[in-house]
Amino acid sequence: MWISVLTAVTEQIVNRLITLEPSLRQDLRDAEHRVLAVTLTDLNLSCALHYNGDHCFVYGNYLDSADCHITTALDTVSELKDPSQLTRLIRANKLDLQGDIHLAQAYSKAFSNLKIDWAEHVSRYLGDAGAQHLVNTIGQGKSRAQKHCETFEDIFTQLCQDELNVTVHPLELEQFKSQTRALSQHLSALEQRINALD
Amino acid sequence: MKEENRDTTHFGYKTIESNQKESLVADVFHSVAAKYDIMNDFMSFGIHRLWKRQTIACSGVRKGHRVLDLAGGTGDLTAKFSQLVGETGQVILGDINDSMLKVGRDKLRDLGLVNNIEYVQMNAQALPFPDNSIDVITIAFGLRNVTDKDEALRSMYRVLKPGGRLLVLEFSKTDNEALSKLYDFYSFNILPTMGKLVANDSESYRYLAESIRMHPDQDTLKNMMENAGFEQASYQNFTGGIVALHRGFKY
Repeated sequence: MWISVLTAVTEQIVNRLITLEPSLRQDLRDAEHRVLAVTLTDLNLSCALHYNGDHCFVYGNYLDSADCHITTALDTVSELKDPSQLTRLIRANKLDLQGDIHLAQAYSKAFSNLKIDWAEHVSRYLGDAGAQHLVNTIGQGKSRAQKHCETFEDIFTQLCQDELNVTVHPLELEQFKSQTRALSQHLSALEQRINALD
Repeated sequence: MKEENRDTTHFGYKTIESNQKESLVADVFHSVAAKYDIMNDFMSFGIHRLWKRQTIACSGVRKGHRVLDLAGGTGDLTAKFSQLVGETGQVILGDINDSMLKVGRDKLRDLGLVNNIEYVQMNAQALPFPDNSIDVITIAFGLRNVTDKDEALRSMYRVLKPGGRLLVLEFSKTDNEALSKLYDFYSFNILPTMGKLVANDSESYRYLAESIRMHPDQDTLKNMMENAGFEQASYQNFTGGIVALHRGFKY
């Protein structure tokens, strides 16, 4: 049943986006009354999108035929945002697509072009100035967080590289061990010769 | 849980004359029609919406289809199907009970769904449609109230187009002992009390609990569908088997 809850929530979000961004209706015109099914192999999950020109239905555990059926792994889903990547992913065997590729591209293009004017929608509750201020603050916070993430990533990469330089390579360790072993043998031989002289 | 013979049938736990069942069931639904939706949400904690979502996902309804929502009551499934079949399709909301049909019609009209829906008062045992004329038939929480279920299934098979499918969403049997005990307690103690408080009618909700217990289990209903002619009959359980969705095709 959890899949029904998940698809119900997803359906609400998608339809809210369609309301907030009228251009989405135009972009999804090619997808009208056609079914796009997606199977996520690692989650063993199948769902489908059916847009009727006004409302998008999201189905869980979809087992029927679809106009386009994509089979892929969860980590590849984020790459589907870029329509030009579809062919590359198919060639790399990361994605199996059966049916009309244009349907997948229509959804991909529609959602990658999504640019919601949040200030316009929020202004109804906060007024123009308040909405703009809120949107700017969130935007600044987002770019600041992004910058922090990038800095952290750089520091982490640098640290790993520095650590790599001071860390003894396994081959060097092996060589050191064999030299120590040889020196120890020489020392024993020398000790025996000294003992013999006595 | 088979009907006892051709002249008697069950009405909850009571055995009655077959010709009495229609009017007794009609009385129940005349009584609950006005509060039907709110009681559904109360009784199932809203989960009936998820069961219906999955029914729609399994229906394969597409643009231009002709869909029969049998025992459609207040039109939950009809509302979705109406949007899926588009202007070139048609949805028929069928129910034997005119009170339920009126509530369904008013609700759907309030939602602005008027173009492609027909309202027909009909008996599931004698569907008023030509052979091979419907793409998809659904009957959600209605089959257990039908007097002769086998005859109703045969009638549905007759009107379905080749390639068409029947979906039966109905209360069923859970094989989890703990859940079964909890469910029994809920059905026979809490449900009638809720019915009394919300709809001022405890008897109708006692009938609901009894009729669920008298309804065929998953495998029996699957066999009944196969006997009526349906192929690839299968079912999936929801909420531990409290509800099951049966699906069968006509080829």
